[in-house]
Amino acid sequence: MRKKNKAARTVNWPVTILLILGCVTIFFPLYMAVIIAFKQPSEMTNDIAGALAFPASWSFANFAEAMRVTDFWRSLGNSLLLTVTTVVLSVIIHGLGGYAIGRSMKGSKLYNLAYLYIVSGMFVPFAILMMPLVKQTAQMGIANRFGVILLYTVFFMPLNLMLYRGYLTNIPLALEEAARVDGATTWKTYWSIVFPIMKPMHATVAVLTAMSTWNDVMTPLVIMSGTGQNTLPLAQLNFQTQFGTNYNLAFASYLLALIPILLFYIVCQKQILNGVVNGAVK
Amino acid sequence: MKLSKGAQDRKRTFMLITIPILALFFCFNTLPLIKGFMYSFTNFKGYGSYDWVGLRNYQDLFTDARVGKSYWFTFKYALVSTIITNVISLILALGLNSKIKGKSVLRGIYFIPNVLGGLVIGYIFSFIFTYVLPAVGQSLGIEALSSSMLSSTSKAWIAIVIVGCWQAIAMNTIIYISGLQTVPEDVYEAGAIDGVSGWKQFKSLTFPLIIPFFSINMVLCMKNFLMVFDQVMALTKGGPSQSTESISYLIYNNGMSGGQFGFQSANAFVFFVLIVVISVAQTTITNRKEEQL
Amino acid sequence: MKRHTRKAVGFLALGMTAAAALISGCGQKDEANGKTVVEIVHYKPEAVKAFEALEEKFNATHDDIQLVIESPNDAMTILKTRFIREDYPEIIGIGGDINYSNFLDADMLMDISDYEGLKDIKESYLRTDKELEFIPYDGVYAVPYMANAAGVLYNKDIFEEHGWEIPTTLDEFYALCEDIQAEGIQPLYFGFKDTWTCLAPWNAICVDLAPSDICSQVNAGTAKFSDAYRPVAEITKSLLQYAQPDPYAYSYNDACTAFARGESAMYVIGSYAVPQIKSVNPDMNIDSFVFPASNNPEENLLNSGNDLQWSVMAGYEDKKEAIYEVLDFLYEDENIQTYLDDQNAVPCKQGDFTLPSMLDGMKEYIENDKMADYQDHHYPSEMAVDAMIQTFLMDESENSVDTFLTKFDTEWVRYNRDLIAKVQKFYAENPEKLTEGGDE
Repeated sequence: MRKKNKAARTVNWPVTILLILGCVTIFFPLYMAVIIAFKQPSEMTNDIAGALAFPASWSFANFAEAMRVTDFWRSLGNSLLLTVTTVVLSVIIHGLGGYAIGRSMKGSKLYNLAYLYIVSGMFVPFAILMMPLVKQTAQMGIANRFGVILLYTVFFMPLNLMLYRGYLTNIPLALEEAARVDGATTWKTYWSIVFPIMKPMHATVAVLTAMSTWNDVMTPLVIMSGTGQNTLPLAQLNFQTQFGTNYNLAFASYLLALIPILLFYIVCQKQILNGVVNGAVK
Repeated sequence: MKLSKGAQDRKRTFMLITIPILALFFCFNTLPLIKGFMYSFTNFKGYGSYDWVGLRNYQDLFTDARVGKSYWFTFKYALVSTIITNVISLILALGLNSKIKGKSVLRGIYFIPNVLGGLVIGYIFSFIFTYVLPAVGQSLGIEALSSSMLSSTSKAWIAIVIVGCWQAIAMNTIIYISGLQTVPEDVYEAGAIDGVSGWKQFKSLTFPLIIPFFSINMVLCMKNFLMVFDQVMALTKGGPSQSTESISYLIYNNGMSGGQFGFQSANAFVFFVLIVVISVAQTTITNRKEEQL
Repeated sequence: MKRHTRKAVGFLALGMTAAAALISGCGQKDEANGKTVVEIVHYKPEAVKAFEALEEKFNATHDDIQLVIESPNDAMTILKTRFIREDYPEIIGIGGDINYSNFLDADMLMDISDYEGLKDIKESYLRTDKELEFIPYDGVYAVPYMANAAGVLYNKDIFEEHGWEIPTTLDEFYALCEDIQAEGIQPLYFGFKDTWTCLAPWNAICVDLAPSDICSQVNAGTAKFSDAYRPVAEITKSLLQYAQPDPYAYSYNDACTAFARGESAMYVIGSYAVPQIKSVNPDMNIDSFVFPASNNPEENLLNSGNDLQWSVMAGYEDKKEAIYEVLDFLYEDENIQTYLDDQNAVPCKQGDFTLPSMLDGMKEYIENDKMADYQDHHYPSEMAVDAMIQTFLMDESENSVDTFLTKFDTEWVRYNRDLIAKVQKFYAENPEKLTEGGDE
């Protein structure tokens, strides 16, 4: 820390080492997940030595079986469809909403109220909405994947709206005003100037929304039940019944489900890191 | 009149964007909420016929010891977890944003917990708390660790805090990092000229600039921790002896799986109003602070 | 300029309709061509393979009826949501527990007393269903299919090695535990972290010592739990001294693993745990015996309840024939055996079936119909009796039994308020039914 600012280009080794050591807290649980995924049920023991030991063989049989039980590719397809559509819709709709409402809030009681109204929806426990929504979606004929996507865009709206609005408060009006003076419409200005500026927030919103959608069990369970369509988390319920849990298959399946979302994150991480826009305005 | 025409277009566009969004939100959030609110005056089980019971559910709510306990647990949990998560994420973000080797790899690693679903993490940690930690505690002779935390009514909630934080820190760190990146380098340079560094630099230069991100994280924490469900489900299922029943867990478990839909709707509604009041208070305070700076 | 603003709205609408067009229309329930469709939704996803085989077999031999068997995960949530949507399957397969009582109470089930197959069902299982009715109903609303049994599983190899005998009275049971302990072996292993497992010993002791219709008696106002459950509570707690330290740290799965690895000689749980135990140790020699909670061997009963039973949803009178044909098919001896081989269950139909070997010790009770239902099938799940028992077991104070029993009585009234009012109103109007119910 001593000469941090003077020697801006030299690597800060103490911090690097501390951070690498800290990775243990991440890797240890992951290590457990991986070895459990490779073991057979008969290798599970109740003592620490057995729990931490390597599996007898590194066979991918569990993964193959997990893929079979969950009808992996179809469930994966559904999960991807739900997640990608929800993320795209969220970035478009919530971004627009955050912009429209956020920019209008200064000096408008009505928009302030609209903002608070939507944001407060964040704290509605899903359990209270569940029954009425099941009925409502059935009556509207959208008790299917489309209904689930629609519900997601509503459920994530409060948080995402807040994120976009919060980000916009840091972005000066100067650019938009300049565009307006040049005769561009608000609509055009949004897509050509504001939308690209919000890139880092798109990444954050996309990551948050994707994670929540990807791992969600309840919404598809109650809305899509009986349509014959499964998502990965829904299919993973297979591994657990009250009277028996096959942790080995379950963990193999969890690890499989992890891969796409991890890839997604690696792509988005670049966006977060590269998309820094400050200074562009100043 | 060119300017005013532009302003008019702006106003109309905003209006046209806002109205459908509000309609959508009303249709799929407020409308079912109102229906749920109506059920809170019934003894509806979730199916079949039901009777109107007036305010009975609300009266019960304030005399039900189990509900009271769940509020105490939830708020205690949320407060402690919010503090721990924010402190650690901020430190991590500062570390990950400094001049370190293998920056993007490290960032990737620290983000992993967020990728895993709450239930999965719960199962792994449940294993650690039951077998690994007690073994470590016994070999080191630490009394407090030598039996499973999850079986102690006084310590089980701490285990849930640990798991909740472990997972939440990832996202909060990312948000702090993106916040730190909006701080222009010249701020530090200017600070360096004034001879400001270390803690002082953070307190007087960095932190004020990332306050919007701080408030985002606060709300994120509030939302996730007050609504805690997955961790409880995977780690303790509310036990031992109902000491870790969170409000969401109680609402789901007794309202959906059990036959208390009406009563738990009342619970959900009170909970909702309570949090809205708290967050409005919280936002007003942070907003005031933001304006001051 | 207007063009652009209109775009704003159009865009939102476009996204929605595009997605709608893409997705909707998929996943509609198949319309069978001219066939009567009978759909079964049951709550045993672990038996999915057996049911897939049965479904295929049925459809191959029937031209006029198409059978669809759904084995969803979390079936109770699915069923409840489908009821909200008013999308009822023809037949539901659930357990004989409080959910059955509630569905019946909500008038959702059809009277099937004219179903021929009922004659072949063992009397005690039909009686079990009768006792699950909150207020006595006329008619029959469920056909029991499979039962499970609970008691004490034991490690046959360890027992044979030491020459231990199967206890038939409570004193013998305690003496056995002392013997096992003296050999340096753990007598019992509990997985009380999963609170529902607290109910396993509780239920097994209840059937011996408490009246089987105690809950109905309490609802009718003629009995109190604090009298009926006192010995049950005391014996349940006494088991702790023979269990591993800190049983609240271990889950059901942990306990199954421990028992499978020979870490304990006995395990107080139901037959449903056997597949899980065998997954850890496939060659294990397991047998079982009835929990002897009374010192009078005659009083000891097998704890057995309806694990899977079929109910027909109300409103399908016109499809009755097809539905009964499906039921007939399910009750064919050969098809019952298909299920038995897959699931270690006890059939509710009379007949000569091959029972799983780990039920050898209970066979005599099954054959002589000396059985009683799980008491927890009468407890509302939101009352969380399992957690109350766990709290009681963890409570080390001297008056813990009193605290627990008092709490049981007060909480029961709180969670069953509407039901008690309904029951008492019913008996006030039909006093003759009260004595009728009391005799059974």
